[in-house]
Amino acid sequence: MDKKTVANIAYLSRLKLNSDNEEKITSDLENIIKFVDQLDDVNVENIAPLTSPLEKTAKTRSDEVTAKNRKDVFLERAPKSNEDYFLVPRVVE
Amino acid sequence: MSIQYKTIAELRSMLDSKAISSKEIVEETYKLIDENNDLNAFITLNKEAAIAKSIEIENNPVKSALHGIPIAQKDLFCTKNLRTTCGSNILSNFIPPYSATVIENLENAGCISVGKTNMDEFAMGSSNETSFFGGVRNPWGQNLVPGGSSGGSASAVAAGLVPAATGTDTGGSIRQPASLCGITGLKPTYGRISRWGMIAFASSLDQAGPMARTAEDCAIMLNEMCSHDAKDTTSLSEDVPNFTKDLDSSIEGLKIGIVKEFDMSKLDTDVVSVFEESKKHYESLGAEFIEVSLPNISLSVPAYYVVAPAECSSNLSRFDGVKFGHRSKDPINLEELYIKTRSEGFGDEVKRRILIGSYVLSAGFYDAYYKKAQQVRRLIKNDFDSAFKKVDVIMSPTTRGAAFETGSKGSDPIQMYLEDLFTIPANLAGLPAMSLPNGMVNNKPIGLQLIGNFLDEKKILQVAHSFQKSTDWHLKTPKGTKLS
Amino acid sequence: MSWETVIGLEIHAQLSTKSKLFSGGSTGFGAEPNTHVDLIDMGLPGVLPVANKEAFLKAIRFGLATNAVINQTSTFDRKNYFYPDLPKGYQITQMALPIVGEGSIKIEVDGVEKIINITRAHLEEDAGKSIHDLFEGETGVDLNRAGTPLLEIVSEPEISNAKEAVAYFKAIRQLVTFLDICDGNMAQGSMRCDVNVSIKKEGEEKLGTRAEIKNINSFKFIERAINHEVERQIRIIESGGSVVQETRLYDSVKNETRSMRSKEEANDYRYFPCPDLLPVVITDEELNNIRSNLPELPEQKEKRYVTDNSLDIAEAKIIASSKTMANMFEEACLKTDDSKLVANWLVGDVSALLNKDGIDIDESKLTPNNFAKMVERISDDTISGKIAKSVLEEVWDSGNDVDEIIQNKGLVQIQDESLLEEIGQKIIDANPKQVEAFKNGKDRLFGFFVGQVMKETQGKASPKSVNEILRKLLS
Repeated sequence: MDKKTVANIAYLSRLKLNSDNEEKITSDLENIIKFVDQLDDVNVENIAPLTSPLEKTAKTRSDEVTAKNRKDVFLERAPKSNEDYFLVPRVVE
Repeated sequence: MSIQYKTIAELRSMLDSKAISSKEIVEETYKLIDENNDLNAFITLNKEAAIAKSIEIENNPVKSALHGIPIAQKDLFCTKNLRTTCGSNILSNFIPPYSATVIENLENAGCISVGKTNMDEFAMGSSNETSFFGGVRNPWGQNLVPGGSSGGSASAVAAGLVPAATGTDTGGSIRQPASLCGITGLKPTYGRISRWGMIAFASSLDQAGPMARTAEDCAIMLNEMCSHDAKDTTSLSEDVPNFTKDLDSSIEGLKIGIVKEFDMSKLDTDVVSVFEESKKHYESLGAEFIEVSLPNISLSVPAYYVVAPAECSSNLSRFDGVKFGHRSKDPINLEELYIKTRSEGFGDEVKRRILIGSYVLSAGFYDAYYKKAQQVRRLIKNDFDSAFKKVDVIMSPTTRGAAFETGSKGSDPIQMYLEDLFTIPANLAGLPAMSLPNGMVNNKPIGLQLIGNFLDEKKILQVAHSFQKSTDWHLKTPKGTKLS
Repeated sequence: MSWETVIGLEIHAQLSTKSKLFSGGSTGFGAEPNTHVDLIDMGLPGVLPVANKEAFLKAIRFGLATNAVINQTSTFDRKNYFYPDLPKGYQITQMALPIVGEGSIKIEVDGVEKIINITRAHLEEDAGKSIHDLFEGETGVDLNRAGTPLLEIVSEPEISNAKEAVAYFKAIRQLVTFLDICDGNMAQGSMRCDVNVSIKKEGEEKLGTRAEIKNINSFKFIERAINHEVERQIRIIESGGSVVQETRLYDSVKNETRSMRSKEEANDYRYFPCPDLLPVVITDEELNNIRSNLPELPEQKEKRYVTDNSLDIAEAKIIASSKTMANMFEEACLKTDDSKLVANWLVGDVSALLNKDGIDIDESKLTPNNFAKMVERISDDTISGKIAKSVLEEVWDSGNDVDEIIQNKGLVQIQDESLLEEIGQKIIDANPKQVEAFKNGKDRLFGFFVGQVMKETQGKASPKSVNEILRKLLS
């Protein structure tokens, strides 16, 4: 868990650690990873991963439009918007 | 007549006999909440709407035991047009345009939602110390934590402000605070209660559940909370049984499993003796104790701390300042918008878990961590399946000890994580589990955990109810023992 | 130095379901911004996805038509990254177990056939749209498109040049339109593709580093982008450098590709199974149902037109090449027995107009209904073939109804026998010399009389009737 690794995953998560908590959180992360490394020695040969405790398959829905126009409801909750769009700082591709 | 510390069943009886009206109950509830402000159990109160509803439903037919009863709702459930914060700054101004299925179910049953309870931020914590809105006090002691993440709900019920509250449980967040606050709380089988409208922490582990003064009240709540919901395809299609029926069934001949690998020697002697007393009591009721082995149980906490952070790191990506919630001021570009918004909006524990989650899912580490943890998860589930061939329920202490002081688990997150040692396995396996008060340690309540087989909430409720019919731990309040 | 080009295409086809892949939001195109957005599409806290069965059924049609492996049990994964039009901060896709596995499709370039293998086709949700140039200093986000079902079709890197790439794209487009799973409308973005291009020395086994050119939505641009990119890579390597693995955008104005100025390269998508979605299972019964109800494909139509409608193979090929044209042919054939007539019009005048305007039949104003009507009016003698040409041009330009045009312009051909006899007799009486010459053997003068009648009737006389009547009068 070196500084570079932490910086990379912080960026992937769009988080910035500031000078107050950077050191503490980095050492916390190290300790947590060391803690979960207990899983290393376990033999899991031929064991399928468990993604959900439910041993069943999905119920699907039929192809119908059920949503109404709720533009106003959504835009009024937006931190920044005009009457039609959510707004973010200009993105340059 | 004071309503403080009354159960749902008791209030129902008072309402049915017209000894009191719903409006009076609700008004007194707010008085109690106000008097006990220092608990900081609530983030948002719903007074106007609550009183209006209590008047409106007076003449409506009584559809369920919850009709006209005040309930506190954990602030993790979306409530339409009522602020929902998840204990976080990033949602401190969020007003959902819809309500969770659980909320709708309870309100359709006639309950009055009095307010949103305080909680650890995004359900991550075991002491309610990570909330943006400040810590919650355990009514049993000035500086004691109530447990978490459903600390506000536990505190409100323990202080007798409401007869019951909703909570959520991902690694123990209903059971652990129930234990530390001396109340009864139940996490049902994964999928029993719809997750539609429940702000997701770890999707394959989260479940809603009732927190109340008795197993009977939990059963009453559960009857209304559970439903198959087409909007949540991980909700069970099995019929919802009537949980209050057959509650009085005898437990003669019941086989109770004691987990060999739960090392009691590591626990405080007081805690161990309370547990042993409970075992004796169950024996006197006709139960038989059988040792069961869950060989992989010690891997529960590490497996959990891979799976839960992984899922949460993804679930929390939607909090980006674009569509709702907190947004940092004047970001100069998109990057800054994301980074500042999220860094300002999330507390340290949430940041830790997101970072761990991103790490264990990242390229090169996925197999070693996430995949491995999910495989270990299956081993743990298999262990339970084998155990339940030999026993009807499994029993253990809920927590390693009673409520601790605020700030005492301070700097090492792992110490906090080990609080959930006994509760985490049931979440990994998706099994129903509950906690009920079974004793006192240094004048602080402590709880007993019952884990049931898949879909077997009825059994653990019966087992809990048997205990409560013949003991009075659940009648104890910070002000003394209730007259039953 | 002889270079080989290695190309792989990832085509995103928007499935023509009514609602989105995981919500009941509408997929309709062109709506006001943010009006087709459901709670689930918004990624609000607490919402959960529910899979749209129809999207699976459409994907399976594609799998069956490409002889592909169908994974009756398929699962969903999350692809995690941040972008304003990705509301949840992750896209739900199928990484580990896609609905459709390995298959193949035949393409033809300059008469030479080649099989291109398809690695997989999987379902995933589309993102919304980011509008960059509408607001000063800001980007607007429209989530209407967020959640629309996409079928991502990934080819093996077996395409060797730009022409093959275009032929492959066209073949896929033809297939998805005939299967009725995607409307193939490239202008509206119903089909987009990312092109992976790399070069290697001729005969070399090892593949070169590839560059990905994103989001191209026209055949012309695909060809140009590939050609430009190949040249760019050759230039780099020949001058001693090495190609960087990166994502590039094609600039159609400057005809060049440029590197995307984002840190996408550093992106680790951290795929993991989506815990909100359980595996979707398609039963044997459902699979067989889809199989037996597959729409007729181009090759099958071609054969049928030849055997049942007596078209020749070249005509059949042209008509069967586009779903719209095939529909036009089939609808018109319902209104008249003369399929040859219908085919002639499509292969002749209609194709000529398409070429002249440089458009696809889907882009024209000619509808199958209107075309069928026009052919019917020729068959029932309302208008002559010659008049029909001008009617067609009018329809082409205005899109107006054929019958309306015929009425408004008074183009109904004159078939009234007594009237035509009258006029015919008048012409005959006025031109005794030509009558005599004709009767003495100058057969070609017949045309003169026909011409005169036509002139007299402003071209509206039915040539058929005029012929019959004049023959009678001149005999």
